[in-house]
Amino acid sequence: MTPPDGVKPSTGELQMVSRQTQIKEGLLATLFFLCAFVAVLAVALIFAFVGFKASPIVREYGISKFLLGTEWVSSDEKFGILPLMQGSFIVTLGALVLGTPLAVGTAVFLSEIATPMIRKIVRPAVELLAGIPSVVYGFFGVIVLRPIVGQITGGVGFGPASAAIILAIMIVPTIAALSEDALGSIPMGIREASFAMGATQWQTIYKVVVPAAKIGIVDAIILGMGRAVGETMAVLMLVGGAPVFFHGMGGPMATLTSQIVMDMGYSTGTHRTALFGMAALLFLISMGLVLAVRLMSRLRD
Amino acid sequence: MLCAVLLLGAGGCSGSRSGNSKQVIVTGSTTILPIAEQAREGFESANSGTSVLVSGLGSSAGIEAVAAGTSDIGTSSRDLKEEEEGLGLIDTPIAFDGIAVIVNPDNPVKQLTLDQLRDIFAGKITNWSEVGGADLKIDLVNRDEASGTREAFKKIVMGDDAHFDKYAVVLPGTGQVRDVVARTPSAVGYISVGFVEPRFTATAVKALVIDGVTPSEETVADKTYPIARTLHFFTKGEPSGLTKEFVDYVLSDEVQNGVVVDAGFVPVKEGSE
Repeated sequence: MTPPDGVKPSTGELQMVSRQTQIKEGLLATLFFLCAFVAVLAVALIFAFVGFKASPIVREYGISKFLLGTEWVSSDEKFGILPLMQGSFIVTLGALVLGTPLAVGTAVFLSEIATPMIRKIVRPAVELLAGIPSVVYGFFGVIVLRPIVGQITGGVGFGPASAAIILAIMIVPTIAALSEDALGSIPMGIREASFAMGATQWQTIYKVVVPAAKIGIVDAIILGMGRAVGETMAVLMLVGGAPVFFHGMGGPMATLTSQIVMDMGYSTGTHRTALFGMAALLFLISMGLVLAVRLMSRLRD
Repeated sequence: MLCAVLLLGAGGCSGSRSGNSKQVIVTGSTTILPIAEQAREGFESANSGTSVLVSGLGSSAGIEAVAAGTSDIGTSSRDLKEEEEGLGLIDTPIAFDGIAVIVNPDNPVKQLTLDQLRDIFAGKITNWSEVGGADLKIDLVNRDEASGTREAFKKIVMGDDAHFDKYAVVLPGTGQVRDVVARTPSAVGYISVGFVEPRFTATAVKALVIDGVTPSEETVADKTYPIARTLHFFTKGEPSGLTKEFVDYVLSDEVQNGVVVDAGFVPVKEGSE
């Protein structure tokens, strides 16, 4: 768009920046500051709102009864979220146990083994996994996975097993992409040194490259964990919706997120504040995870 | 879906919620959804320029929405609870419904008593062999707490003393309960009589005979079938304007003997006398 005339002066001696340009620069700087500010403001507002709405559960119901209560029966005004926390924990742990080897394996393959041709096909395919809406994962889980899991575990197939399997697939792109970045940032010289010592490709991968990238990989796993803890729709459709303690991988449970969605349509009074309390807890968990990642990256530097 | 309803509601009726807008918002029971959906089609084509927004979020959500004024009609498959009595809601019964207890077609069990049913859903009877079936663990399929079907089932079958087994699967819709039971030999669930016969799918479920009575339109209408209930439209105050027109349309013979019967429910006019 710039006419050739506009370019000409710059080839000559340095020119004073016109007042107009200065104003434009200033305005743009303000605009971008506002963009960043909106994001910060949104986080602050949401946190304040959730905290404000959740405060009655702490003041009126009691924080220990809420966090350590073993029974969630909304019709009896019992709002103990320990079973829900356990549900979230088990489903997340299951997803990580299944998903991490798959994702790190994918990352190692893409970064160390695949030829550029194969990489060109595999990488977009893995990235595409992240683009599938979670309701589609859930639907697939209900129709295809649930009957199979039901046959293996006994029961109807709703429970932490189904939810963890689907979640494992969902967190693969997150962990794989970040792990691949971590592996890619390891200088080529390190690999060459390893090969020069007579190490095979496999020895180089598991004794040199992966250990060198381990902080980055742990970062990736933590972020994948964040995704798993917060995932709602697919989990809601598969976990079974029973707010009880673990009773087998095929026994229905509920998670913090699934219970919030299940109840929010009709909850009132203390029940609703309990849901906000759970939301606040989820907020704190993901904040803790982000904090952990930041600390880890400082460690890496 | 909720967002869409709210957005359309906010955009379409320029601040007027009194019922003289050209739009009626109907929210609530998933059981009543097929009636409301089909009545909507007939009503909109008979009254051009009007629109009826129908959504199914559960009876409690419907009652809350109509009480809060975000909906013109709250549909509910249960009666008002004590704490909802004072909200100034007017009740218009629109149909009767029976709740069928369904099992997989492969399950040899054909009938249960109400007491057996209560013990099954309370988790006291855990094997089909205890009620004359095969040696197979019973897998309960329950509805979520916002469900009017659950509320009615709890009131009629469980009574005040018995509680649902907490370890049961909780599913948020009639369709899901039906689908899971149709595919799982050990499962038992409950849905409206109107949904027992396959309508939208090829999968089959079997309705059990309860206390010697087969659930059917006749046994629900003559009140011999024990697990039956009334379906309601709730409005904030007496319905007026377009809201009243829609309620009247649903109560007309055209809808009562057409849509209501087609959906497997029992018309309110025959049953109420």
